[in-house]
Amino acid sequence: MERLRNVGTNAVNTVRKHRPDYQIVLYMGLLMLLGLIVMYAIGPQRAHVLNTAYGTDFYSATYFFTKQAISLALAVAVFIAVSKIPYTWLQKHAKHLFIIGIVACVILAIAGWADMAIAYCSLGACRWFDLGPLGSIQPAEFLKFGLLMFVAGFLAVRAKMGLINDWYKTLIPLGVIMSVVALFVVGIQKDMGTGIAMVSIVASMLVVAGLKLRIGILLLGLGVLAGIMLILIAPHRLDRVTTFLEGDNASDTAASYHITHAKIAIGSGGFLGVGIGNSVQATGYLPEAINDSVFAIMGETFGFVGLVIVLILFTALLMRLLIVSDRLNGMTERLIVAGIFGWLAAHVILNIAAMTGVFPLTGITLPLLSFGGTSMIFIASALGLAFQLSAYTVHTNLGERSTDEDSNGRRRLGRSRYTSRSSYR
Amino acid sequence: MLPQFRSNSRIRLLAILCLAIMAVFVMRLFYLQVIEHGRYSTLADNEQIKRLTIPAQRGEIYMMDNGNPVKVVLNNTVYTVFVDPQFIDDKQAVVKAIREIAGGNTVENFAKLVDRTDTRYQIVARNVSRKQAELMKERNLKGIGFQAVSERVYPEAKLGGQVLGFVNYEGKGQYGIEEEFNVALQGTDGMLQSVTDVGNVPLTIGDHNVDVPAKNGKDIVLTIDRNVQAFTERALRNGLRKLGAPYGSVLVMDPQNGKVLAMANLPDYNPGKYYTVQDARAFNNDIISDPYEPGSVIKTFTVATGINTGTITPQSTYTNTDYIDVEDRTITNATKGQTGTITFDHAYTWSLNTGMVTIAQRLGGGSINSKARTVMYDYFHDRFRLGEMTGIQLAGEVQGIIDQPNTGNGDAVRYSNMSFGQGMDPTMLQVGAAFSSVVNGGTYYHPTIIEGTVDADGKLVPAKQKTPDTNVVSESTSEQVRNMAVRARKAFYAGSDKPGFTVGGKTGTSQAIVNGEYTFDETTGTYIGFGGDSKPRYVIMVRVSGPGLAIGGQDVIPIFTDISNWMIDYQKLEPKG
Repeated sequence: MERLRNVGTNAVNTVRKHRPDYQIVLYMGLLMLLGLIVMYAIGPQRAHVLNTAYGTDFYSATYFFTKQAISLALAVAVFIAVSKIPYTWLQKHAKHLFIIGIVACVILAIAGWADMAIAYCSLGACRWFDLGPLGSIQPAEFLKFGLLMFVAGFLAVRAKMGLINDWYKTLIPLGVIMSVVALFVVGIQKDMGTGIAMVSIVASMLVVAGLKLRIGILLLGLGVLAGIMLILIAPHRLDRVTTFLEGDNASDTAASYHITHAKIAIGSGGFLGVGIGNSVQATGYLPEAINDSVFAIMGETFGFVGLVIVLILFTALLMRLLIVSDRLNGMTERLIVAGIFGWLAAHVILNIAAMTGVFPLTGITLPLLSFGGTSMIFIASALGLAFQLSAYTVHTNLGERSTDEDSNGRRRLGRSRYTSRSSYR
Repeated sequence: MLPQFRSNSRIRLLAILCLAIMAVFVMRLFYLQVIEHGRYSTLADNEQIKRLTIPAQRGEIYMMDNGNPVKVVLNNTVYTVFVDPQFIDDKQAVVKAIREIAGGNTVENFAKLVDRTDTRYQIVARNVSRKQAELMKERNLKGIGFQAVSERVYPEAKLGGQVLGFVNYEGKGQYGIEEEFNVALQGTDGMLQSVTDVGNVPLTIGDHNVDVPAKNGKDIVLTIDRNVQAFTERALRNGLRKLGAPYGSVLVMDPQNGKVLAMANLPDYNPGKYYTVQDARAFNNDIISDPYEPGSVIKTFTVATGINTGTITPQSTYTNTDYIDVEDRTITNATKGQTGTITFDHAYTWSLNTGMVTIAQRLGGGSINSKARTVMYDYFHDRFRLGEMTGIQLAGEVQGIIDQPNTGNGDAVRYSNMSFGQGMDPTMLQVGAAFSSVVNGGTYYHPTIIEGTVDADGKLVPAKQKTPDTNVVSESTSEQVRNMAVRARKAFYAGSDKPGFTVGGKTGTSQAIVNGEYTFDETTGTYIGFGGDSKPRYVIMVRVSGPGLAIGGQDVIPIFTDISNWMIDYQKLEPKG
């Protein structure tokens, strides 16, 4: 671990801190605002559905808007906090974060098994800690963050040593780590979506760290195999996959109902959408309208144009992350940002693919848009970290390979690169 | 689109992968939202747009009460309580709530139904009041539901049951007013087409919404006077008890306008509990649906025909031998001994058949020939409208039978019998309306039971009544027949009438046909009469019978008298001098 810390410290020390990449904030902010607008628009319908279902009038028309606004405020606070906390400190404690995540999952598993009130279970899967009035928290999200930090450090060391493609030093230990994580997240918590997101985080890092294509394909094959196994042992996953494979002819199951209605919502939106407040699918037809299905509701409300804008915003954000990763000197930092890219990309792609019927349902949220605290806060913290690291990027001429510090490039331009917005193009 | 990267083709790979997937998404969205938009819109409409029926409220029925309409048939909303055992989370509480609040309305063994898991809909209580339903709702129990059911309510219970009819479990009117005016009473259900949420609650979204309000049924006001009806039913019930007879009917009408004031039939029933009726005969309004041989009350019409054609006067005479031959038959008098040369007035008072046959013969100049029969048919059928539908606004009216003069049945024997009320089957209502026209000065008012409707403000809107037939008989004929009826009544029963009023009437005793022969062992007693001051103000017709009972016209007079004396008070008639 001593090595890890040194790697991190070096990078910060060798590159002068400059203005971070505010485009990350811009795209993130726009997406958050869009999500808030949707909550405002469908909140009343959603509240009515829940009030009717539970026979109460607990949910007010602005309940979801208010809660989402609070979540966003919290997320923004976390974003700022993580962007200010020296990432070296986080890096130093990466192992601890990871261990805390694992321990939390163990406690949850025990609490769920012992039927304790603190474990909040739904449909046989115990994924949340119930914190009473504070809401609930999903330890898998924390574990995701810990995994990101820990594996980034681990792979960076191996990459520097040129051992990325070494089975015994790198790939098998990584496989063990992933198996432990998969046991808790996919096995016990039955959360395939988060599992895939974690694989995506690690896969992105491996790709950036320089994994050989041949090994990559082999690992991909192994991963698909493991995935198929996990699907076969869980009925609800099998249902989702068969639904997907049967397409519109799917039998009448929960999964097929969900997908059919997601497609109805998106399809009935048309080119320009039905407009704010006119979503009918949100009145109870489409399950999880404000969480996992928010993309479909946005499709109904804002139409093709609206969804393309959402896709553009996500793509731009993802591209910014790749650019930041590309321009970081230290391998650890580069891998962290690549992992964040993998994290965000997995969520966005899995969710949208399921909603548009091109991939089976995984039950994963759409980052920044879906209603919900934990996932929002951890995505914000990941983006906060990327934002912090974006202040340490270097700029050399395009195509110029730089293994050195960045001062040359800046001197050649004669002024600070980052006072100009379109610096890199 | 693809950003240029400083180095590291691997990051470039991720970017390409990411952009490729996003491009697939855009194409997929274009397919779903632009190309397939129509299909998905249709799918969305199919599940989102619902058509809900807004039930129209059934019209209410009023009777008159001293000139003001009062409701006698109302609607009430009651609730059927059902449970969805799969949705119940606290069985004990549900059972307790149902038992405590709707204990008297539960179905048998309802607690067991709550336990059933193979069903999602079990009715546990019926006819629960709104208050009970609200009390149950207040307990916030899961899996318990309520269905509003509109129910007819009869605050007067049995009053006028056969006139009103009832509404069956399908919501369809049966018998009487309910059946006759079923369509008008039902109104038109409204329609609400709306985009709804998943729980069928209409939303104000979209442009497919249609809202056609329900048109409630018409409120109908009957000419029946609640008080007259009530007293008539009571009088009939008392009369039947005294006579020990099971069947009886009384018609009370206003001879000055044809309005029916009361129609009472026994046995009767409560339309609110129509399902408890054992003998369907209780549903029938015999006054309109059971034609019969009224017997000697018809002599009034024979006399009126004779006088109006100028064939006889009340004081004209004939020779009574108690027997008279018509073709191969010999007709005898029921009351014998009034032999010799007597007036037709005397013959009417003593109800002598020979007198009536004589009138019929004189109409043809000596025999009941074609001319005589044609004249009688003209009066009985065309003018007095016997054997003709009266058009009363009630379901189940029957036409009755009166033979035409030149058909096989309409021979001299038949017409001789008809002159004293045999061989013809009119209904009581036909006879009552005809009698009214004979005593009221000669105007035939088509009998009616509809006073009008009630408008939105609760005001009575009078119905348009049919134009009466004037000059059915002359004023003079009418007055002479009236006087004969008064004398006929006075000759035997004068003592029981209130002094100072004009009351007249005629008995009728018709034999039942047992084994194809007329027999005096079983007879139907009928009495028809009128009462009033300077004009006849009411006509009352009473009919009583029973299997194996010989009930004569005289036997039913007390029922008439009861009602007649009460009517004089109720109508506040002024005695003469």
